[in-house]
Formats: sequence, C-alpha cells, structure tokens
Amino acid sequence: MNRRGMNDVRVLLASAAFVYLCLALAMGVIPGHVLSATPPGPGVRPLSAAEARGREIYVGEGCSYCHTQQVRPLEQDRVWGRPSTRGDYAYATPQLLGTERTGPDLSNIGARQPSTVWHLIHLYQPRALVHASIMPAYPWLFETKDAAAGGDVTVAVPAGYAPAGKVVVATQDAQDLAAYLESLKQAPLPAAMP
Amino acid sequence: MQDVRAYVGPAGGRGVVEDARILSAYTICATVWLLITTAAGLLVSFKYSYPDLFTSPLLSFGRLRAIHTNGTFYGWASIALVGCAMYVAARSGGVTIRSTRLAWAALWAFSLAALVGTVGLDLGMSNGSQEYREWIWPATLLFMAALVLSLIVVVATVSARIGHDIYIANWYTIGGFVFTIILGITAIVPVYQVGLGQVAVQAFYMHNAVGMWFTFLALGITYYALPKLLNRPIYSYALGVLGFWTNLVFYPVIGAHHYEFSPLPWWFQTLAIVFSVGMLVPVWAGSGNFGLTLRGRWSSVRRSYALPFLVVGIAYYFLGSTQGTIEAFRSLQAIWHLTNFTVGHSHATMYGFITFIAWGAIYALVPRATGKEPPPLLVGIHFWLALIGVTVYVAVLSVAGTEQGLTWARGDPFIASVEAASPYWLARAVSGTMMFLAHVVFAYNVYVMTLAPQRASASHAAAGASA
Repeated sequence: MNRRGMNDVRVLLASAAFVYLCLALAMGVIPGHVLSATPPGPGVRPLSAAEARGREIYVGEGCSYCHTQQVRPLEQDRVWGRPSTRGDYAYATPQLLGTERTGPDLSNIGARQPSTVWHLIHLYQPRALVHASIMPAYPWLFETKDAAAGGDVTVAVPAGYAPAGKVVVATQDAQDLAAYLESLKQAPLPAAMP
Repeated sequence: MQDVRAYVGPAGGRGVVEDARILSAYTICATVWLLITTAAGLLVSFKYSYPDLFTSPLLSFGRLRAIHTNGTFYGWASIALVGCAMYVAARSGGVTIRSTRLAWAALWAFSLAALVGTVGLDLGMSNGSQEYREWIWPATLLFMAALVLSLIVVVATVSARIGHDIYIANWYTIGGFVFTIILGITAIVPVYQVGLGQVAVQAFYMHNAVGMWFTFLALGITYYALPKLLNRPIYSYALGVLGFWTNLVFYPVIGAHHYEFSPLPWWFQTLAIVFSVGMLVPVWAGSGNFGLTLRGRWSSVRRSYALPFLVVGIAYYFLGSTQGTIEAFRSLQAIWHLTNFTVGHSHATMYGFITFIAWGAIYALVPRATGKEPPPLLVGIHFWLALIGVTVYVAVLSVAGTEQGLTWARGDPFIASVEAASPYWLARAVSGTMMFLAHVVFAYNVYVMTLAPQRASASHAAAGASA
C-alpha cells in the first residue's frame, strides 16, 4: 500500500523529531550552554568542603521545595536582600533557585541569621524558636545522649523541645548543613552597578 | 476504526487476549503507583497543618514530596497512558499489538524505574532536587529505555495497520514518545547545566515534561476514546492537526515562565510569556474540537460511566491551560509566583486534565478488552469523590496562594503568609483525603475489571456495548 506524507510513519517520526530537536537545542541546550559560562560575580566564592557537604544534605532533604534562593527585583523581595544577579550562581550546581516560597528566601540567610547556635536549634526543632513555623524538624541530624563527650557540639534546645535529662549533640551532617546556611551571603555589588 | 477486523483477521483471538492482558497489566501497575504516591502526597498535605506528624527521615516532607510528584508523573500517569496508547495503536489500526514481548519488557522497565527512583528518594538520594527529574540516574535510564521500547511497540503496531491513514490519535502518542526521548536526553547531559545554565535547562525541562509528554499522550488517547464512546467521528481532523503542530512549536518555548523575575535573561522570560499566550491556539483547538464532538450528545454522557471522566478531563484541559496562559503575565506573577497558586494550577492540569483522561480511557478500554464491567455505583463514587476533591483542592490553594502573595506585597512579616494560608492548607488536606479515597475505590474497580473472576451475568457484557 502506498502511504505518503504524514501517513508514512517514518515521515511522521522524522518531522516530529526534527522540529523538536531544533527547539530543544534553541530553548534548552544553547541557553544552558551560554549561561553555564557565566563568570562569578565580584566576591562570589566557591564553597568549602564542609559547606559543599551541607549543600548535599540540603538537596537530599528537599529544602528547596519550600525555600527559594532568588531575590526578585520586586518591592516585596527587598526584605530578602538585593536582587539576585547572574554572577551569584556561578558555583551553585545543582541550581536551587526553587519555585515555591512556603518558607523564607535563603539567598542571604547567612547574613540575616549568622548564629550557628540558632541554626542548629532551628534544624532540631523549628518550633522551639518560631512558634508558628511549619518547617519539618530534622532530629535525625542530631544525637541525644546522656552526657556530652569531648569534642561534641551540644545544642542548647529550649526545655520542652528535647527529651528531658538528655543532651542534644549535632552530627557532622547538622554542622555541615549549618555551615552551608551560614555561607549563604550575598556579595555586595560595586556601587556603579545597577 | 476497524476493530471488528482484529477479531477475524489473521492475528485472531489469541492476539486480542494478549492485548487485553497487556492493557490490564499496565493499568494494574499504574494503579499501584497511584495508591503509593498519592498516599505520600496525602501525608505531605497533612504535614502543612501538623508539621510534627511522623517525624522520621523515611516519612519526611522533603523526601515524600519528590516521591509524590515523580511517582504520580512517571509511575501512575505514564504507565497508565502508555498502556492505553499501545492498545489504541492496535485498535485504531484494526490489528493487535505488535511485539507484545517488547510491551511486557517496557512495563518491567517502567515499574523498575519507579521502584528504584522512589526508594532512592526515600533514602535521601535525589538528582539535585531538580523538580520532576529527581529520580537518580539509574531510574531515569530505565525510564528512558522503557520509552524507547514503547515507541518501538507503537510504531510497529501503527505500521501494521489495515487502513491507509495514520489516525490522529497515533500522531499524538508517537509524537509524545519522540519528544520525551529527546527531552530526556537533553535533561541528562550535564555539560551545559552549570549554575544559571541549569536554571535555563530546568525551565525547559519541567514544562516540557508536562506538555510534550502527558498532554500529547492524553490528547491522543482522547482522540480515540471520545469518538469511540460517542460512536461518531471526531468533529474536525484538521483542528487535531492544527493542535498537534502548534502545541509542538509553542510549548517548548514557554518553560522560562517558571522563572519570571529570576536572573535568566529578561527577553528569554518575555519570549516565554508571549508563547504562553500562543498556547491558547492548541488548547482551544483541542478542547473546542472535543467539545464540538460532544455537541448534542449529553444524553450519552449521562448513560456512560467512562464519558463523564473524559468530559471533566477536557474541561480541566481548557480551564487549567487557559489559567496557565493568564498567570504567565508579569503583573499576575508578581503576586502569584512562588505561592501555592502554582500547586493549585499543577493539580488542575495533572489531575483534573491528565488523570481524569487516563481514568476515562481506562473505563472505556479495559472493560471492552476483558469483558468485565466495574460496578456502576462504585465508578460513580470514584467520579464524584475525585471531581469534588480536586475542585476544592484547586480552589482553596488558589485562594491560599493569593493570600500568600498579598501578605508579601503588603510587606507583612513572612510568618503572616504562613498563618494566612493555614486554614486553606487544612481544607486542602481534607480535599486530598477525598481524592485518595477515590483512588481506593478506583483500585477496587480496576481489580473487578481485570483480576477478578468473570461474573456469569450476560447482561453485564451486553451493557458494555453502551458504556
């Protein structure tokens, strides 16, 4: 049987694939390639080993589903810092801009909240510090012991939010995650730049 | 459509029975993933109101959310639609599924992919939290292999057809497989996904995964199931072709509307908004075409248990996609972006549209294939629980998102947006419960249509003809 044009399944396959291949290059691969070469902005530095490990925890626990890392050039975003620039993300792979802001933006959390103690308590039980918070608690990043051993990083969780008579100790994972959060500081832009 | 010939042709009875087994197996696997991943979604929804509910790494919000989104996408909806697509390719061509072995292999690959991806996520192994592609690479590769196998099955089946024309339903499904294989490769290669480059690729990926895969498969299956159930031809073949090409050309450009006001180039975002308006062409062409096919046949909808699902799916396709165009405007994104409004929109489309079409197709095709009818009362309960559930869900999250955006715009302290959305989150959990109960009822209906022993009553078989 003579099957021509789009009734030839090979023509249907090839034309659909050709059009979409062009669009995938134009809208996905080429923009990705060009923007991947974005140089770091002034003062933007790579993460330390501990911060990079903390970032992996951040990814694995899905923190970016509720916390954005993008400050928009909008009035209501001023509270989070200066508008984000392309150079801010040179070392941010995988990207964690996020699509929902159920919790606060974290682009500049290291500057807004520089206390390690605060971060550790907050990770152990957010409601110990922010009563109306709905952030999940991450007790599995901590150990509870009868007494702290030498070298342990103990966390002063307010009474009622940790097992009574026990000491809460931050694991390496918790310390790394806190280190990552504290590293999130927007580098100041040179004054001449918009 | 010449499905009578399949029963008398050389492929004969054995092939028809095997086709029914394949369709049943895909439906059963998809249903298992629907139950697992919407249970995860339900638990997540309650955690908004009770954040200390089940505090454990394996049941934590951040892990279950990705299990829910990826699992409903690639476990439930993909497996359900692929099973229907294979069956449609065979029935619309008057033949049986070609290379049933490959069809079975594809189902194994799909199921294994979902298992590996889900278990990995629960253990905290995520592909960089990139939405809708969080499964680790072994799972992604298995899924891609399943797509290639499925494409071979559908193309081989369509090539074996009796008639001359490739029916429009198969344009859409073949297109969906081709696009998604290309999309998958685009998403896997890491060299052009550094920092902001990955944001651009993610914008492209996350929207195309929805619009070039689920939309194409669901529309293709509707182009078969709707005329079949109404026993009348589709209103316009040309509108179907127009929808195919405009969806193909416009959709891939609109991904950046997920990153409006981000540091992605401003013109890139504007281009996405302009093409989002262009999307009205395929959406209205498609939904209009279906609507005109339905004209004057509402009595058929009332008598059928499958048609109401398709009607809801078509309505949500029209409403959800039109909403997508409107919310892409910068003036509205300034308020709605990053809020729960987006989650409402994604459920209007992935659930109201895609999932309802999948259900309509399953209720249309599976009883005809197996000769086993589901109890109409339970189909009705499934329908109303799911319809009321998703409609309330979308409504309350749209309000919640608007409230969130307005508190931000007013400059209130951030926690005010959490408190403003709280009552709506509880309402969402309740509507989510209704949706989950609908899935349990659906699962029982699937059991009756597939694994359950044949009921002796001949009247049920006769009723099947009018379903």
